[in-house]
Formats: sequence, C-alpha cells, structure tokens
Amino acid sequence: MSDYILELNNITKNFPGVKALDNANFKLKKKSIHALLGENGAGKSTLIKIITGVYNQNEGKLFLNDQEKSFSSPNEAMNAGISVVHQERNLIRRFSVGENLMLTNLPKNNLGLIDYNTVAKESKKWLDIMELDIDPNTIVSDLTVAKMQLCEIAKALSLESKILLLDEPTSSLSPQDTKNLFALLKRLVVEQDVSIVFVSHKLEEVFEICDEVTVLRDGKNACESEQITNLNRQKLVKLMIGRDEQIIKSKKNIDFTDENLLDLQSINTDLGHKNINLNLKKGEILGLYGLVGAGRTELIKCVLGLDKINSGQILLNNKEIKIKSPKDALEKYKIGYISEDRKKEGLILMHDVLSNAGITVWSNLKKILSFLNDSIVYNKVDPYVKQLEVKTPSYQQIVSNLSGGNQQKISVAKWLASGTDILFIDEPTVGIDIKTKSYLHELIIELSLKGTSIILITSDMPEMISLADRIITMKDFKVVGETINNHSYEEMSSSIMRNIHE
Amino acid sequence: MNNKIPNFIKTNQFGLLILVIVFICIFSFSTDGFTSRFNIYALSRVVALDIMIGLAMMVVILTGGLNLSLGALGVSAAMFGGWCMESMGIPISITIILVLAFGSFLGWINGFVTVRTGVHSFIVTLATMSIYFGFMTLLTEAEAFRKLPEAFTDFGSLKLFNKYISPLLIISVLTCFVLYYIFKYTDIGRKLIAAGANPDAAELSGISVDRMFIYCHMLSGFLAALAGIMLTARIGAAIPSMAGHLGFDWLLPAFLAPVLGGTLLSGGKVTVFGTMLGAILVTLINNGLYLIDVGEFWVRFFLGIILLGAVLLDRAREYFTVKNSIVS
Repeated sequence: MSDYILELNNITKNFPGVKALDNANFKLKKKSIHALLGENGAGKSTLIKIITGVYNQNEGKLFLNDQEKSFSSPNEAMNAGISVVHQERNLIRRFSVGENLMLTNLPKNNLGLIDYNTVAKESKKWLDIMELDIDPNTIVSDLTVAKMQLCEIAKALSLESKILLLDEPTSSLSPQDTKNLFALLKRLVVEQDVSIVFVSHKLEEVFEICDEVTVLRDGKNACESEQITNLNRQKLVKLMIGRDEQIIKSKKNIDFTDENLLDLQSINTDLGHKNINLNLKKGEILGLYGLVGAGRTELIKCVLGLDKINSGQILLNNKEIKIKSPKDALEKYKIGYISEDRKKEGLILMHDVLSNAGITVWSNLKKILSFLNDSIVYNKVDPYVKQLEVKTPSYQQIVSNLSGGNQQKISVAKWLASGTDILFIDEPTVGIDIKTKSYLHELIIELSLKGTSIILITSDMPEMISLADRIITMKDFKVVGETINNHSYEEMSSSIMRNIHE
Repeated sequence: MNNKIPNFIKTNQFGLLILVIVFICIFSFSTDGFTSRFNIYALSRVVALDIMIGLAMMVVILTGGLNLSLGALGVSAAMFGGWCMESMGIPISITIILVLAFGSFLGWINGFVTVRTGVHSFIVTLATMSIYFGFMTLLTEAEAFRKLPEAFTDFGSLKLFNKYISPLLIISVLTCFVLYYIFKYTDIGRKLIAAGANPDAAELSGISVDRMFIYCHMLSGFLAALAGIMLTARIGAAIPSMAGHLGFDWLLPAFLAPVLGGTLLSGGKVTVFGTMLGAILVTLINNGLYLIDVGEFWVRFFLGIILLGAVLLDRAREYFTVKNSIVS
C-alpha cells in the first residue's frame, strides 16, 4: 500500500468555454493536513467538487486507498468516507446538536419512534472525542458560530469519515476559536487517523497548521505536494498569483486637528451600543477594528437608520442630522454603505450587471415622468465598471454567474458611481483572491486621496494596518481604544490587542 | 453569430406562443364553432378579464407575496362603482376614476398592513379578502346594481374589428404596454423589481423597500378594480357574486397567467407579455374544453393540473438559475 489515502492523477475538467482543470494532480498523504491553495477561479472548488462527487472529471483518475473510484453523487463520496465542511453551515438550526449529528442514521426504538436517549448518548461520544463541552440537547441556533463549526466537524467524524475537506473554516472565527480549532485538527489527525484538506485564503494559517501544500493556478498545478518547510509567504504568494505580492501602504498626512466631517457624539442604540464617540475627518480612512460581535457593523446600520438610536447626536459638518433610512443617507447626505455580505445585502444576484451597478444612481438619472432607459444608466456607470476592470462578457450578464472578486467590484462600482462623500466599507476583501484584494486596497486609498472619507470595518489585521489612518477598537458595543496608525505591524497589532484584552 | 434568434426561442414567452398556436390548431380542428365570429368575440371578452387579473396578481408576486383578496377587492370596487352610478347618479368618467382610486386604496391597506406587521401577504390578504367581501355584502345587502347607464353597458357589448373583438381586450392589451413601459423604462419600475428581488440589498442601496411594496399592492388594487369595472360592463350589472363567493373564481386564472408567463414566485422578476400569453392560454383551454363538452369538473381538473405543472416549471426555473451560477 502507498502512503496516500487519496490520489488524483491528471484530472481535466471542461465547462462550456472554460477548462477549469487542466491535468491537475493532487495527492493526500495519510494522517496529514494538506493545504489546497489558489486564487478564485484557479480550480480549487472544481477539484473539491470532483473529490466529493458533485462533478465528474472529463479525464484523469481518482484513487481512494489505491482503488480507482468514481463517485456519481455526494452521497457516494460520503459513504466512502469523504466529508466536506463548508463555509456555509450545513446544520439544521432548529434541531438539537444530537439530532444534527445523528441525522442520517437516527436510532429508533421498538415503536419505530426516534430514541432520543440513544441520540444523546451516541452524539455525546463524538463530542467527547473532540473534547467539546456541549450538551447534545442544545438547539443549534443557540450555539456560537465557532461551536457550530466544531459540531459540523463532529458530524463528519460521526459518519466515520477518514478524509475531511475544510473550506475556509476560520472565516467567521475569532483568533481564540481559530487556535482551538487548529489544536483539535492536529489531534484528530493523530488520534483518529483522519487526513485533512485545508482550503483558506489566510496564508498565516496554512503555515501554522499544514504539512504539505498544493497550489493551483489557472487549472494547472503551480506546485504539487510541496513540503511547507520548503516555502515561505513570498514564495507561496508567487506560486499563487504568478508574480510577487505588492504590499500597499497608505502614506498620507491627515491633520487630526481639522474640523470633523462626521461626528458621532455619545450614541446609545437599541442594539446595545453604549456612549459611542467617534469622528471622521475629510479624506481620512478611519478603521474600526474588533472581534466578530463587537458591534461594528451594527453601529453603522444604526447610523444609516436601520436600527434605532436612542440618544446622542450625529453631526455632519457641525450640523446635527437625522438619518431615517439608507435612502436618506444616500440622497440627502451622500453617505453610502458597502456591505460585508455581498450576496445577501450588497448585490441582487439574480439581476444583471447593469442594474446592480446602476441601482444607486437611478433616482439621480431619471428624466421627466420618471423615464429611464438602459443607455442612460450605461453611460453613467460604464466609466466606473471599466475603472474597476470588472471582467464580464456583457452588462446583461447575471451577477450570480460572475466570480466573487468581480461581484465585489460591482458592489464597489455602484457606490463609486453614486459619488458619495462618505463611504462605510465593511469587510471589503473577505473571500477575495490576492490579486483583487490588493487592487481593492489601492482603490480605497485612491478614493480617500481624492477626498472621500471612509470608515473601514475589517477583521483582517494586516489589511487594517496597511489602509487605515487611525484605528478605533471596539469591544462589546463600546469603543475601547483609539490609535493613530504608524503602519508598523508589530507595534499596531500589539497595541490593538492590548485595547481588546484590557 | 446571430445571438438574437436563439435567445428569443429560449424564452418562456416563445414556448407559450407555440402552446397557444398548438391549442388553437387542436381546437379549430376538433370542435365546431371554435373559430366562429361569436366564439372569438366571446373569447376576447373573457381573455380581457383574465389578462387584467393576471396582471393584478403579477405585480404582487413581484414582491415575493400574493394577493388573495384580488377577487373580493375587484368585486367590492365594482359594487362601489355600481352604487356611484345607480344610486348617486355620478357620471361614468368620474365613477371610473373613483373606483380606481377606491381599488388603489384597498390595495394600499393590504400593502400597509403587510409592511407594518411583517406578516406574509398571504395571511394579510386572506384576512382582507374576508373583510372586503363581508363589508361589501353588508353594505349592498347582497343586492345587485342592474340599472346602470346605457352608455356604460353598451361599451361592454360593443363589437370592433368586423365584430370579432371586444373593446375590453383593447383595454387589457393597452394596460400590458403601459406596465411594460413602467417596468422597463422608468426609475420607479426598476426600483419595484429590485425591491422584490432582494429587499435587503435594495434597502441598503437607498431604495425605500416598504414604499415600493406598498406601491405594488396599490397597483394590484388598481388593476383589480379595473378588472371589476370591465366585468361590470361585460355583464351589464354589478352583482356581488359575479366573481364567486369571496371572489374565488378569479384566483385560479390570477395565479395561472403570471406563473405560466414566467414570473418567479419568489419575486424579483416580472414578464408582462408572458402573463398576457399565459392568460390567453388559460382562456383557450377553458373555452376549448367547454366546446369539446367534457363537463365542468374536467375543466377545473385540467386547470388545476396546469397550475401544478406551472409551479413545477417555476421550481425548475429557479433550479437552473442556481445551476448556472455554480460554474464560475
């Protein structure tokens, strides 16, 4: 028997017009953690879908434990011991943890009814293996995001999976939860003979946890089962994007004694914000840092009038304003919001590029009797879509058919077109590939140089430190610190973490 | 490459058009009198109404909601019109304006309650259906208005184009063009569609979603009232039971036309001319089956089957939208 539990040789997969995979190889060693990396569109998801039986390859062979296999459905792959833990949660939120774990094989009693004692006992066994202190009777929706993630892994284990595919498992976890997850994964590999395929955009994590790396670029192997010890960050990025990474830093001199453009004074909200004071200068990028659940996005939504502000004042150019709705913010005060959740809140996925890019400007462009046609909208948004280098076959393309990076560009383009003075930008690069990420970074800096004032929410510390002029730290719906950014990663990150943990 | 032609062939409307032609052929050959002047005229009067109530439902389906009160609302508005003309002696033109305003107001109630309570419009309009119809029956004491001005009832029996077509059909087709224009070429139409497709994203993009939803319900009320007026003109009287108990008779064609036409039940997509074709198809099948003389029950049976088929089509449409997006 060979060292490999899973082997994919010379895999080619064609889609109409695209070669998603071109002679790609992937070999997973037994009891190892293997990183699968690549930019969006490099073929990672296609490869995963072939492994899990969603797609069939056009050419090439798949071996599981040295036996050639071909899965015709995800179910077959699961029965063969391959489980995926997706970015999106696959748990039924209103069922208990135990029910979710045992869902595919619910124990029954003599009457054919579900035997809840056994459900609890059986699922407890798997939770114990993972050293998870969760009562199997807890309803899933009562768990934290991190615990849900761990339950999904427990579910995969309960299916006797020997291969676990983790797709961006840390995207919604705090640093502490991430640490716990990694400790667990390492233990599972040793104790449960599990092999893990790890997909992530966060390279720090790859170096922390993985043994070997396979990088895909344009459907081909940029490297194959390379030992992590032979690589460093620069080398890895070069493998992924085919050139060196550019580190971008905002070099600006903001005079912090200037008049405030936007000023929040002792804001208390319905959602629980306590005495929030913060101000934004013209042309500044103000960073809002905090862990998930610190109340940053919620604060912005209160400012936009989506949730109630109970007391306190909002001043724009030293005049008190009341923002009733995002419509108010956009039309009266020229304030825009780029949502962190582009699929749910940023874009209308089922509509085409033109209506998504133009949605913020319709009101301004309409002629007499509210007349508006495509060419009027096109003339307005085309420069911005071009400037952002959105790759789309046409303006009639449905947005859900575009890649994540291009979708994000469109949700940015619509706010550029609207010509706002103040932009709230929420997690602009989550799940975005490195090339588009640095492009968006340049764009944000350029915008602020041209005079747009920006409040930037991001949980990505390097991103925060390269972009922000000043960083406000939030914790538990309160402001806990303010630092002028000197762009030194070590100093800034330790000062921010001090603010959070004091 | 000539992309234009294949694209049109792929659309739902094209499929419907083919079906309409197929059914016309079948019924022309298999029945006597399908193509007679009398039958075509009768068809045009029925299809005019089906188109209008299909459109009235379509504009609410756009929001991802439903308007079950459609029939009750239309009949209530029509009875109000009958009262205006017969009891109050208000001139026809002013009555029509009042009725349309009244219909829009009832639609506004539907929309306002839906938006304010956050309850699905299915429940809200189920309640208002009963309320509108109950009130109407109470106020009219279930009596019809039969002495309407002659100019009004004459219009309903007018025959145009060599006596083949009712003017009611022209009103419906014109309404289609107006709605098409609104959805395609106005700021407000685009906002209605955006709000229906993804309310969260639309709200954050500076669209007042609540207001858009209320507009959709008002438009639905307006169109239902128009359908009520047309029905009154057609039968020459305003009768409380003219759309069946609680207006139920309108519900089946109201759903069939837009769903067959390609309007997504989950909202965010409208097809005005698809709805028109859907209504034509439903009326054709109805009429043809009567002519074949299969009996009332079978007609209902078939329409039910068609509705189920149309809903499956709706699911398939959604499925393929998702399927396409997987490949990126």
